[in-house]
Amino acid sequence: MRWPWKREETELDMELGYHVETLADAFEKQGMSRTEAMRKARKEFGGVDTIKDQCRDESRWNWLAQAGQDVRFGWRMMRKTPSITLAAIATLALGIGATTAILALADAVLWRTLPLPAPEQLTELFWTAKGRADGLVRGSSGSNFPDNGVQVADYFSFQGYRNMRERAAGKAQLAAHMGDTQVSASFAGQVSVSKLRPVSGNFFQTLQVQPFAGRLFTGRDDDAGAPFVIVTTHRFWENQLGADPAAVGKSILMNNRAYTIAGVLARGFTGIVPGDATDLYVTIWQSPEMLIADSFYRKAVNNPLNWVIQLMARRNAGVSQTELDAMLTPAFAASWAAPPKSPEQTPRLRLQDASHGLGALRRRFGDPVWTLLGLVTLVLLISCANIANLLLARAVEREKEAALRVSLGCGNGRLMRQFFTESLLLAMIGGVMGVGVAALLGRLMSTLLPRGADGLTLTVESDPRALLGTAAVALLAALLFGLYPAWRTARVDASPALKEGSGSAGTMSRSRWAPAKLLVLFQVALGVLLVTAAILYTGRLSYMVGKEAGFERGHALLFDIRPGEIGYRDERLRQFYFTLEERLASLAGVESVGLARTRPMRGGGYWDDVTKVGETKGVGSAIHHINPAFIGALGVPIVAGRSMTVQEARSGAKVAVISEDMAQKFGESPLGLHVKVSGDDYEVIGVARQARYSDLERPTPVAYLPFDYKRDSVTVLLRTTVPPLTAYGMVRNAMRDLDRDLPLVDVFTMEQQISKTLQRERLFAWLCGSFGVLALVLCAVGLYGLMSHTTARRTPEIGIRMALGASRGDVLSQVLWEGLRLAVAGLVLGVPLALYAADFAVKQRVLPEGPMPYWTLVAAISALAAAAFMAVLAPAMRASAVDPMQALRQG
Amino acid sequence: MAKKSDLLQGTLDLLVLKTLAQGQMHGYAIAQRILLTSRQVLEVQQGSLYPALHRLERKRLVTSEWREGDSGRMAKVYSLTKAGARQLKEELDEWSRYTNAIQWVLEA
Repeated sequence: MRWPWKREETELDMELGYHVETLADAFEKQGMSRTEAMRKARKEFGGVDTIKDQCRDESRWNWLAQAGQDVRFGWRMMRKTPSITLAAIATLALGIGATTAILALADAVLWRTLPLPAPEQLTELFWTAKGRADGLVRGSSGSNFPDNGVQVADYFSFQGYRNMRERAAGKAQLAAHMGDTQVSASFAGQVSVSKLRPVSGNFFQTLQVQPFAGRLFTGRDDDAGAPFVIVTTHRFWENQLGADPAAVGKSILMNNRAYTIAGVLARGFTGIVPGDATDLYVTIWQSPEMLIADSFYRKAVNNPLNWVIQLMARRNAGVSQTELDAMLTPAFAASWAAPPKSPEQTPRLRLQDASHGLGALRRRFGDPVWTLLGLVTLVLLISCANIANLLLARAVEREKEAALRVSLGCGNGRLMRQFFTESLLLAMIGGVMGVGVAALLGRLMSTLLPRGADGLTLTVESDPRALLGTAAVALLAALLFGLYPAWRTARVDASPALKEGSGSAGTMSRSRWAPAKLLVLFQVALGVLLVTAAILYTGRLSYMVGKEAGFERGHALLFDIRPGEIGYRDERLRQFYFTLEERLASLAGVESVGLARTRPMRGGGYWDDVTKVGETKGVGSAIHHINPAFIGALGVPIVAGRSMTVQEARSGAKVAVISEDMAQKFGESPLGLHVKVSGDDYEVIGVARQARYSDLERPTPVAYLPFDYKRDSVTVLLRTTVPPLTAYGMVRNAMRDLDRDLPLVDVFTMEQQISKTLQRERLFAWLCGSFGVLALVLCAVGLYGLMSHTTARRTPEIGIRMALGASRGDVLSQVLWEGLRLAVAGLVLGVPLALYAADFAVKQRVLPEGPMPYWTLVAAISALAAAAFMAVLAPAMRASAVDPMQALRQG
Repeated sequence: MAKKSDLLQGTLDLLVLKTLAQGQMHGYAIAQRILLTSRQVLEVQQGSLYPALHRLERKRLVTSEWREGDSGRMAKVYSLTKAGARQLKEELDEWSRYTNAIQWVLEA
């Protein structure tokens, strides 16, 4: 097939040729020779080329032909200045890539709505109270967080759930769910550690999720005696069930109990929290905790003092959140075990929009992500400034060319379009590469994000919307930075630009470069901010990683076991734990065997008030229920008194070891003191050195109480004399000998466990760090581009100076100074900017309190100054190497 | 030869439309016709006809097709479209109003 515009061209030739020849025929008939006739015909006809051109202007394909020309010409021009082109493309790719990646992250964390019908009807239920709800809540499971002076909690009692669900009937549907737990699931001989979330039978109906295969739960699955069924996510079905098309109806062994697979969830459903890593769902009544006869959860079902389930609601169409709130509030109050002691302690219902999923991830990642968004915007601004700078530099180079074209009859519109096409070309190449950069960054973020066991499964993928955003940014960059130089050029009065020649650029160029200088200034100032942020955050991470834990971090191995789930009860369970302690302690390479109810450094834990007997106000404290060897295994020195004995622990004696800071709070010598913890009286027998409990960040008072050997699950902490992973093989074998049906869950060294609590900080530090480096590179490129071009334009002037006696050193220092002056001005501007931003970060609680360490600022400034020096040095050297004779001849 | 007049700006399109109203013809014929009917007064540089024809074609006031011409060569012949005929009528009205107005002023 021939291109229509090519055909048009031949047709034009034929048409005009026909006319001329027919005219010539007529003249020939009048008696002229053929040659003469043709000449006269051409004269009568007029300038063929001009006419052709005019005809082409009328062609429908004209714009396309011209665009083709523009692209070809633009490509040639880009290749003529490869360094500028490459710098511009790299800048665009990095800037756009970084922005897209962060946008994708922000989308995944903050903006994506749940892929469910009418997500705006979904509501998350919380309650708030100023103080502790004494007499209303004794045990709880869930999360709470401070918000503007009140505590917000997401846990409710079963009674509360029943009351509110009944009250809301007809206006809204209430569903319950619980926090996810880890289970071992085995299918066709393959065992995996998976995440299980217990939900109420109406949970999926409330969400309106569709099954991919089989069926989801219904209210009837809540019935006592209902067959054991399980629902899996599409991901689990693909990865763990081998995408078995006949999976529904088969059974999964979960914690050694058989559940029939009722259905597989729709592919798009990834849970109710952004990043939800849940693999399996069972009804609350069939969850492993509920099946243990006297477990805390089981007892909670009929105890209004134990608040253990989380609630969400789907409002019927037309029911507002306020309306629902008003309906539920009395039902909620009716479920309380006792009247609140004071108005301050009265729980108030708080309903929150859950269209984006539950707020847990947003609370954890929201602020850092917003900060990252802010930082990446700055990176984008710097990139844009760079592009503008580079394109401007090229436009100035090409002023003469443009003037020539204008004087040869090129219309302003056409000229603008030429420049626009070139920048569009640049933007397209940069944009395509930006998508690649975004994909790379996305992968980096996914690997840095907390994953697996305690983590989340967040798909940070550039979805079509993020891609569209990228395209928009690329286009905008092209428009802004392509058209500005074009507009400037179009305004150029042809004659002076032509007359200017190549020789007299000197002083004239100064004013002309003003916008470029401003851009570099602005870049360097933002650079100071970004590099400071990078140093601050990476510094904070390494500070936190290396922070004193108060215990021995090396040579420790952690894992969980749940003997209760495979049938160990009461005395048999106690004996099992005793054997375990002895068996593991006898292993070569194992120094001591600690058991604890809560895993240290897990980021959560068990908290309660420790109250001196006779006083009313207690010390909010982390509680460790431990065996006698635990304090030694953790490596916390006892500073006063003694640790508990095996005898005390096994007999359940009420003794406690408290941490130093708690001892200080009690004031007097704590040994022999009696304290109350959830109603029980303990005698303080020892004081342990201050040690971190749930994470490295917050020091907290800790009370060590004897472990109740009847607990169905436990965390084992081994202090080893050999590297912990070397000991693991032996430990696993020993555990298999004890009971081969007992899986070891979450096996980590203490260092790994600690680093898991810092994953958020790590992600953040990594991204900030890479933005800092990016800013540094971009600033250097901007400065380099600017200085190369000013010096290139001033080559003749430099030649004259040198001919008049300036030494190479003079030229070198002159150019260096000119560049560095600019950089220094930018640095000076950047300092208050960085200070202000750091202050803001502290206010937003992204950074810890306290003044910013000034060395960070000094380091940032030095890094930028060094980069600036390097960027300016190359053009300065080039300028000083100018051969005066050559330069003058050139002029 | 009589003194020739330059064509008034913008009247070429009108002349082409009017000429084509008499039937389908190719560029050469249009040029000859204009020359003939204007009694050789109007000087149309023959080539300048073509941009006008292409412009009218782009505005879909005329259409064209390729036909074998008198001498066996392929010629592109133009004909008026309905829109072209309407346009011609409008422009003729406009023209007569314009010339009338000029006439009134000159004869006042």
